[in-house]
Amino acid sequence: MTALRALNRFGLGAGPGDARALDDPRGWLESQLDSSAPLRPTPGGDVDVGALVREQRALARSDDDARRSDLRRRILEFTVTESRDALTARTTSARPFVERLVAFWSNHLCVSAAAKLPTRLLAGSYEREAIRPHVLGRFDEMVRASVRHPAMLTYLDNAQSVGPDSPAARTVARRRRGEDAPPVGLNENHARELLELHTLGVDGGYDQDDVRALARVLTGWTVTGLGGAGARFAPGDGVGFRFVPLLHDPGDKTVLGRRYGEGGEGEGDAVIRDLCRHPSTATFVATKLVRHFVDDDPPPDAVTRVARRFRDTEGDLRETARALVHLDAAWSDAHRKFRTPQDWLVAMLRGLGAREAPPSVLGVLRDLRHPLWAPPSPRGFGDTMAEWADPDGLLNRAELARTVARTPAGRRVGSGPGLPALADLAEGSGDDPLRAVLADSSIPSDERVALAFAGPSFQWR
Amino acid sequence: MDRRDFLHRAGMCFGGVATFGFPTVRFASVPEPGRLVFVLLRGGFDGLAALVPAGDDGYASLRGAMAFAPDALHPLEAGFGLAPGLAPLRAFWERGELVALHAMAIPFRTRSHFDGQAVLETGMDRPEGSADGWLNRLLQVMEGERSGIAVAAGMPRSMIGAHPVSTWSPAELGAVDDAYLDRLHLLYRSDPRLFNRFEAAVQQQARTAEMEMDEGMGRGPGTDVSALFRAAARLIRPATGPNVAAMELSGWDTHANQGLEGGPLDRLLGRLAQGLVAFRDEMEAAWADTTVVVMTEFGRTARPNGTRGTDHGTAGAGFVLGPRVARSAVVADWPGLADHALFEGRDLRPTLDTRAVLKGVVTGAFDLTAAQADRVFPGSAGVRGRTDLMG
Repeated sequence: MTALRALNRFGLGAGPGDARALDDPRGWLESQLDSSAPLRPTPGGDVDVGALVREQRALARSDDDARRSDLRRRILEFTVTESRDALTARTTSARPFVERLVAFWSNHLCVSAAAKLPTRLLAGSYEREAIRPHVLGRFDEMVRASVRHPAMLTYLDNAQSVGPDSPAARTVARRRRGEDAPPVGLNENHARELLELHTLGVDGGYDQDDVRALARVLTGWTVTGLGGAGARFAPGDGVGFRFVPLLHDPGDKTVLGRRYGEGGEGEGDAVIRDLCRHPSTATFVATKLVRHFVDDDPPPDAVTRVARRFRDTEGDLRETARALVHLDAAWSDAHRKFRTPQDWLVAMLRGLGAREAPPSVLGVLRDLRHPLWAPPSPRGFGDTMAEWADPDGLLNRAELARTVARTPAGRRVGSGPGLPALADLAEGSGDDPLRAVLADSSIPSDERVALAFAGPSFQWR
Repeated sequence: MDRRDFLHRAGMCFGGVATFGFPTVRFASVPEPGRLVFVLLRGGFDGLAALVPAGDDGYASLRGAMAFAPDALHPLEAGFGLAPGLAPLRAFWERGELVALHAMAIPFRTRSHFDGQAVLETGMDRPEGSADGWLNRLLQVMEGERSGIAVAAGMPRSMIGAHPVSTWSPAELGAVDDAYLDRLHLLYRSDPRLFNRFEAAVQQQARTAEMEMDEGMGRGPGTDVSALFRAAARLIRPATGPNVAAMELSGWDTHANQGLEGGPLDRLLGRLAQGLVAFRDEMEAAWADTTVVVMTEFGRTARPNGTRGTDHGTAGAGFVLGPRVARSAVVADWPGLADHALFEGRDLRPTLDTRAVLKGVVTGAFDLTAAQADRVFPGSAGVRGRTDLMG
């Protein structure tokens, strides 16, 4: 049981025979934390994201349908390649705990591919470059990498935000004097979510003035290489971060009662460091981690332990992850988590011994209402049973399991010795009749495979 | 064997459908008259760009380059006009079926999407007030046969609670036969936390199988709003269909480049308005006792921000549609747009509590008593339901 708990609660699901082979579950989890998260190469190869965005802008005003549909095809190809690669990593990783952490932090600091084209194209590189390198590193460095990544800068609009007293805004105001033109100025979207969703939490002790001040701090943090208005102030071909002093709001700023003297780009770095060290951040992050790994209602003493470790190590995420493994609650029968659709799908693929995520995986995840990197809002996807275990969602899983069981992989498992072993992939309740069903040769074998994945015990981790 | 047969067989196997404790199964009983659809616009939609206060002296200068020209709007009354994209709503207005609400806000001051949605969806006066949604509480308070469904939204917060509720989405991930569902049903009996939900899914599927759901209805990456509204109508228009439905649309968090006529926000409004028309048409005769409420978690800043968009604000607009409204009207205790009138110097000032509207709507839509409406919105006894909105 402990082995299954390690594989399912902390990992991404058991593969055939995994549970039997695992004699030191806690040690197995901790050893996954030893070296930093494995980096992934760019699967899209030499695709130039900036060029795609500029091409789309140019074509938006054209009526060349052939070129437009060709562009659409190339964009789709690129995003499918990116997404499949990330899901293949989850499906095949020998360090599934680390992949769970990647997915967790990616969702905590989410961008959404459902929003704008640049964000959609950059979502894969965002997880690869801003999240993955830091999941066993430092929280403040992850947040800093997130705030500076072009995917986030476009998603939450900071790339467009301009200091109201910046040289750029003054120039525009002078030129437009007397015209009824929109003012050039702040966009507080990113600043608010950085406080509310990424660090302190909504009750973490900030107010509207802090939101404004942080938005001013972050003015000038913008992107190059995506064309549009930004290109004027941030010339350069490649897609990347750029601090543009002309856009930065000058002067002192006060965030959470602390005064930051005019410091250009360094202001943002300093504020991010302080936000990440704020006690509210430790509690907020620990609560989300414990909710993710232990229980929809996080046990307060577990949150306290994880938060303390986070604070004592100044946001060392390896030590924070270790603290999760050391929680008694994480191993207790009293707590269970309902698998999210992504976790359920990946667990099914691992249970079948799949070598890669199938090409259809993107559409399937959309139909399961859990599309990769495309949460409906900056809060990211929810993490509780109330949000995922709706009736239609269970039926969708039943349908998909039946479909998957008819594929060659499903039939292979169904026709071999792996069939009865499907009952060992999850912890059934005492009177779960799954084992008897799997042994019932009057039921077609591929249907039995489907029942193992669609049945109730496999929905939990 | 069709789904209905499956249900009967399941009932026989397990001692009768009634023992499942599902009031959603109604074969011969008289349903509660009245239907309510709650459409949540997630993201905080810009009420000032939808129900436009063009008659306010401050409007044009406040919105500047983002102000609509007066002749682009569809005038209603009292100086308010519908944005171009909302033109299809004129059909409701002319038939006396549209109440347009303004300067309305949830009872809790927040500029957080998530706290705002929590307050609106739970019907409480603070984000942590309750785990349950007000639509579910409404189902608990109603008497007689009643049921609820969430359409293409998973299980939204507004529907969570003790009363069993079904969900429906256009997704279909493969064909399943009854023998398989039957066996799965057996497996789910061993899991008390999931059994009711699985049961509700199978029952919903049985009902859906009897309807004509067009191929691909509402399917796609969320842009075909009209198809989704038509699907919702098919689900709830049968006499034994759900009385309470939840829907949601996202994309309203317009921090940048909102645009004017034909712009990004106006196109979204257009999809909403066309979807509501499609819904009304698809409801056919059942439209007569149907009420639709459209709300959002907060309005947006009165002034544009620096990127031709608007940031999170406070009061905003909403709509109540249907033949059961008293008459077409703009309902707003208008606070004005002058600098000193703005809330915290930046947002439209709230003068109408969303709970007052919702209490008025539920009492009118389902003939509830004021005391029952109070139970739907605990702690709101001091907030009088706007019963004048409904006929």
